Amino acid sequence: MSEIKRDIPPRYRGPLSHIFSGRAHTVVLRSLYALKTSAWYVVLSGFFEPLFYLLAFGLGVGKLIDGVTGPAGQPIAYAAFIAPALLATSAMNGAFYDSTWNIYFKMRFARLYEGMLATSLGPMDVALGEIVYALLRGLVYSTGFLIVMYAMGLVLSPWGFLAVPAALVIAFGFSACGMAVTSYLKNFQEMDWLNFIMLPMFLFSATLYPITVYPPAIQLLVKALPLWHGVELIRHLTIGPPGMAVLGHLAYYAVMIAIGLTFTTRRLTKLFMS
Amino acid sequence: MSSSAIEKKALSGAAAHFGERRSSKAGMFGAWYAAEHRLLTMKAFVSTIVATSIFNPLMYLFALGVGIGSYVDKGSGGALFGVSYLTFVGPALLASASINAVFEETSYPVMGGFKWTREFYAMHAAPLRPDQIASGVLIAAMIRSVFTVLVFWIMLRLFGTLPSPRAILVLPAAVLSGLGIGSVMAALAASLKDDDGWFALINRMVIAPMFLFSGTFYPLEQMPIWIRWIGWISPLWHATDFGRWAGFDHPVESWLVVVHAVYLIGLAGIGWFLASRQFARRLEE
Repeated sequence: MSEIKRDIPPRYRGPLSHIFSGRAHTVVLRSLYALKTSAWYVVLSGFFEPLFYLLAFGLGVGKLIDGVTGPAGQPIAYAAFIAPALLATSAMNGAFYDSTWNIYFKMRFARLYEGMLATSLGPMDVALGEIVYALLRGLVYSTGFLIVMYAMGLVLSPWGFLAVPAALVIAFGFSACGMAVTSYLKNFQEMDWLNFIMLPMFLFSATLYPITVYPPAIQLLVKALPLWHGVELIRHLTIGPPGMAVLGHLAYYAVMIAIGLTFTTRRLTKLFMS
Repeated sequence: MSSSAIEKKALSGAAAHFGERRSSKAGMFGAWYAAEHRLLTMKAFVSTIVATSIFNPLMYLFALGVGIGSYVDKGSGGALFGVSYLTFVGPALLASASINAVFEETSYPVMGGFKWTREFYAMHAAPLRPDQIASGVLIAAMIRSVFTVLVFWIMLRLFGTLPSPRAILVLPAAVLSGLGIGSVMAALAASLKDDDGWFALINRMVIAPMFLFSGTFYPLEQMPIWIRWIGWISPLWHATDFGRWAGFDHPVESWLVVVHAVYLIGLAGIGWFLASRQFARRLEE
């Protein structure tokens, strides 16, 4: 395995120095520069998607449903029930599509990473840089959505503002795993299969209706899904009360992030450094 | 005779020869040759296309019918005119599946055919007219839509949500709604020189709102008037309302049924014309 180029001294000299040079921020900067040439209206449009779902299901379907209950069994409006779920879903979708389709394009067509790895950057700089950029975008979108939730009176708990960092944790988990999966894919047909995981994940993770409609066995299955943990995490924060369960959901994401990052760097090293 | 003159003569002879072939071979079936090419290209994606056609409707039917349905049905069922929620959303999901299938075939593939693979220029250099190429793309997209819609329709019949004897009419309405969006999309895609995220934008700002605000998941009348117009101009609402009338005798005024049919046929026709015209402009510029 070839080493990271050492034309300039690394900023980081720890045990990971064979894959990490401490310059992930340059990858983030590159994405921000690239943003300048992309259309602003496309970036802006990403904010509207969860909003449309909130309006349609909150106003429309909400009128057909008599009542749902929050994490502590308290009766709440249907819109207040789905809003945190839509925030979690939009964090998931943004992070996952960015780390799959966009990364795939950059890796296989634009050959961006080959160029980056020919410099003093290591694979972990690239992986971290791309993820941090995806998180920056997620930060903008989720803040916007939370402001709308406050305006519509859908944040019922004083801890609601923590929904933004929570959305970032969700996005981090899906980014890391999305990149790991993408680095193994070889063509667009394989990419298409990712939709077969994402759509049911959105529909079945107790997003649009409470998990209690399922029989107990199916409930266990749903509780294994990452999005369910994300939805519950944000629901505990915006509806309340946030209990010990929050820590459990966070732990789930910590594991996801660790596994995703490990496989991504390992794979990038194998693809581009050997 | 100089060599260049010989060349010229040979070339004009070849042109005459190909010109003859042009009129004799492509004439009637030109659009079908183009469609055949598109279908062969789709073959590479056949497993995901088939799986999507079966899997997506099933997922939505379970999630909406069983999940939301269990809440809606025990609540204010009167708002849905006495049918189950699953029955109510069925025709809407069917038309929406058709729109998605056609959109997929008329967005990136059309832009790519001009920009990346340049296959439309190749077809044009072979004896195909621009309108035949455009028609070929739309025919192929329609064939995919028919397959998707048929699978979905059979599922809905098995679930017992399309009990009416005229339920077969749900099929053409759904296919036409897809064609209406798809043909306009093809015209637009044929005019794009660069991607610039246009399709992502259209997906988020046109297709998604149309999916959500066309009376798909609740009666359109329930929405405030300032949102309801989205349904009125959306082929999805026309196909959905028509499909509900045809599928389970949902009360729809007879003049409105006619409006739905005329709108769906009209939009598909206009879109087809626009796509042909745009293909001609792009190929001959």
